[in-house]
Amino acid sequence: MICKTNSPAQRRFFYRFAVAMLLYLLLLVSAVWGFVHYRPTGVLAYVLAVLPALPILGQLAVIGLYLAEEKDEFVRNMQIQSLLGGIGGTLAVVSVWGFLENFAHARHLDLFLVYVLFWFFVGISTVVVRLRYK
Amino acid sequence: MKNRLRVMRAEREWSQADLAQRLEVSRQSVNAIETGKYDPSLPLAFKLARLFGTTIEGIFCDEN
Repeated sequence: MICKTNSPAQRRFFYRFAVAMLLYLLLLVSAVWGFVHYRPTGVLAYVLAVLPALPILGQLAVIGLYLAEEKDEFVRNMQIQSLLGGIGGTLAVVSVWGFLENFAHARHLDLFLVYVLFWFFVGISTVVVRLRYK
Repeated sequence: MKNRLRVMRAEREWSQADLAQRLEVSRQSVNAIETGKYDPSLPLAFKLARLFGTTIEGIFCDEN
């Protein structure tokens, strides 16, 4: 959430992240529309399919930019811990789920959900990290 | 790491927000350093020392 106590780097992060999210929605709708109406094949299908993923790569770059621009070392440290929690949680879940799929025939986890899982765990880590330093 | 930051800040009648503004960090940062939950980097420790006109050892105590 944007509030007046956010650092300039945090405000830039939220703005860039929101732009990337809007682009994601726009490209996702465009890709779905393209596949429904034109049923592309071959290279064109690959290009159209990868379009919605580009803003997600952009969001990852936005995180990197934020960490480079954040001047408050303590805040940067907390954000890094939250991100590490997100990465760790995601890796843990997909590793376990991978074995469940292989050996116990669990339902297949679509790979695009990995990114959603990452932010879910970043959210949990953020709360834990903040409570730790409260 | 134990430190005398709260006392030194009180002597100057600065709030955490005042000190944070002078250090160009967040109030959260000042609170975390004061309570010993976060140890600042050397550049920030030097900045604190300069601000209070003392040395780093004058603010932070080496518990070892």
